[in-house]
Amino acid sequence: MNALEWAFTVGKLLLVFVPLTMIPIMIFMERKGASLIQDRVGPNRVSVPLFGGLRLFGFVHNITDGIKLFTKELIVPKFAHKWYYIVAPMIPFAIAVMTPALLPWCAPIVFEWGGSVYRISGQIFDADAGILVVFALSGLSVYGTVLGAWSSNSKYALLGGLRASAMMISYEVSMGLSLLGMFLLVGSFSLSDIVAWQGAHYWGILIQPIPFVIYVISLIAETGRAPFDVAEGEPEILGHHLEYSGMRFGLFYMGEYAHIVINALLIATMFLGGYDVPVLGTEGVKEHLGLVIAAILAVFGASALGLMLLVRRWAAIYAKTNSTDKVAHAREYGVMGVIFGVIGAGLLAAALMSALFIQTSTTMVGGEAIYPLWTSLLTAFVQIGVLFAKALIFCWVWVWVRWSLPRFRYDQVMSLGWKILLNVALVNLLVTAIVAKLLQGGR
Amino acid sequence: MAKVIERREMSTVEQAYLVEAAKGLYGTAKHLVRGFFKHETLPTVSYPEQIIPIPQDYRAHHRLMKRPDGEARCVACYMCSTACPARCITIEAEEAKDGHIEKKAKKFEIDLLVCVFCGLCEEACPVDAIRMDTKKVSVVADSRDQFVRNMENLLDWNPADYPADDTQSQKAPGGRLNDQARTEWAGGTGH
Repeated sequence: MNALEWAFTVGKLLLVFVPLTMIPIMIFMERKGASLIQDRVGPNRVSVPLFGGLRLFGFVHNITDGIKLFTKELIVPKFAHKWYYIVAPMIPFAIAVMTPALLPWCAPIVFEWGGSVYRISGQIFDADAGILVVFALSGLSVYGTVLGAWSSNSKYALLGGLRASAMMISYEVSMGLSLLGMFLLVGSFSLSDIVAWQGAHYWGILIQPIPFVIYVISLIAETGRAPFDVAEGEPEILGHHLEYSGMRFGLFYMGEYAHIVINALLIATMFLGGYDVPVLGTEGVKEHLGLVIAAILAVFGASALGLMLLVRRWAAIYAKTNSTDKVAHAREYGVMGVIFGVIGAGLLAAALMSALFIQTSTTMVGGEAIYPLWTSLLTAFVQIGVLFAKALIFCWVWVWVRWSLPRFRYDQVMSLGWKILLNVALVNLLVTAIVAKLLQGGR
Repeated sequence: MAKVIERREMSTVEQAYLVEAAKGLYGTAKHLVRGFFKHETLPTVSYPEQIIPIPQDYRAHHRLMKRPDGEARCVACYMCSTACPARCITIEAEEAKDGHIEKKAKKFEIDLLVCVFCGLCEEACPVDAIRMDTKKVSVVADSRDQFVRNMENLLDWNPADYPADDTQSQKAPGGRLNDQARTEWAGGTGH
């Protein structure tokens, strides 16, 4: 490997931290989504001291929560097993950092530099066993839960840990089986192959809709959130992190949110074509790069302008109330309107520039049309962004489901997992195998 | 007669759960969209900045009514402390020297931490000396002792804060009708 390939290898390592950077967005989405679903206002008090106080729709509460958790005392109960107790919260968190290494973030970056052609994989680690390694890792995350529960030496925590492990086993089965249909069609366990196949043929959600539903349900159950939060069970047992305090408790929660982000990325990869841009495909994106970037920027610019109008509307409504802080709010809304207006106008202008001036061209190297480095890199970023957009939809599904559906009873969870999802997945596997044999003639 | 609730069996679609779950998700999504685009329809009132008007007959912090000369109107009859179900009123009486009344309160204390704000003291008072119409609902103090309101605290109110048609409040010192009341007070023979 030469210096350029080393630079790419090190640069790709940054993608490992993507789920971690998504955690604040997840928490913000959860708090604001929950409040609006319940007809509340949600967090809106803390402000950053810029332009005389900007509340940023309650986003600043993340920072204050972090400060609070970091400065709280870390208590190790006298009756706990100290070593396991301290290690347990790190396990889910460590897995959240390991799994992204296996995901294909973008199509292989092919470019010409100094007369030779480079092919950089879009994955940090392209394992042949791909998805199996991901399964193994996500199965490991229950060790954090169980270890934390057991080492706390508290019966309520232990009950939570037992429930978590039982549920994990039940849902890992239907989760794996629901994907077997996709493996049959693709003929590979490698995640990059699965995404490439979906780009070339159909997205998984179109040809395997039932496994898609099973997979989403199983993954929601695997993260242990409502309606499957029997392991946490606030009303009766409080769950595996009962004895934890401060940032160790916070680590459990950050691990849970990172797990959600990873699962959303996995759904996008397995069933929504991963980084695949609909209609265009990798080569199409490279060919029309200027227009694609223009479209993305235009969407963001239009959203910013829409937010500006929304803020102006809120300001007008707030001015009619009899609040004592009307002046401060009018100023804050004014500043936010200007910021969103400037951002929106800037993005729209950038979109126009991109549509007019970004032209891509190829050079022929060895009978193959190769794009230059900047085109391939920008395409990779576009694909990472598309993968994000798909994953964000499912991140929202997690929040949405949690605040909409009531909790299942423990025996209902078990019977759903073993009696329904497992059987439906098996039947689907059989039907897929027969249809694939008839249509494709076996592979 | 008790109402009999018919419990019907769930249909197949309902038992399959997914359709019903989707309906539930649609319901919450409607709330979300409405809350986002029509923020003003949310029922929340941001409290310290926006205060919902408290009605005039709301039972809040007590006050002692005043005579035109500024003395408490209380005649230390112990009716209120007798009526009080929480026994939060402590009264000590002494002889009144001004000739209008026989007794007056030397000490009149209300323990707000014990008070249940039932309003029975108001109803029991024969001379309309105690009222609960201050609309003060937020009482903050550093120690338990400070929640015991003495006579000085209870007499500390301003007639300007009360409606002009509330004649009893307006006859206190500083009130709109105080001059007239003082004339009657000087020439009259007590109650």
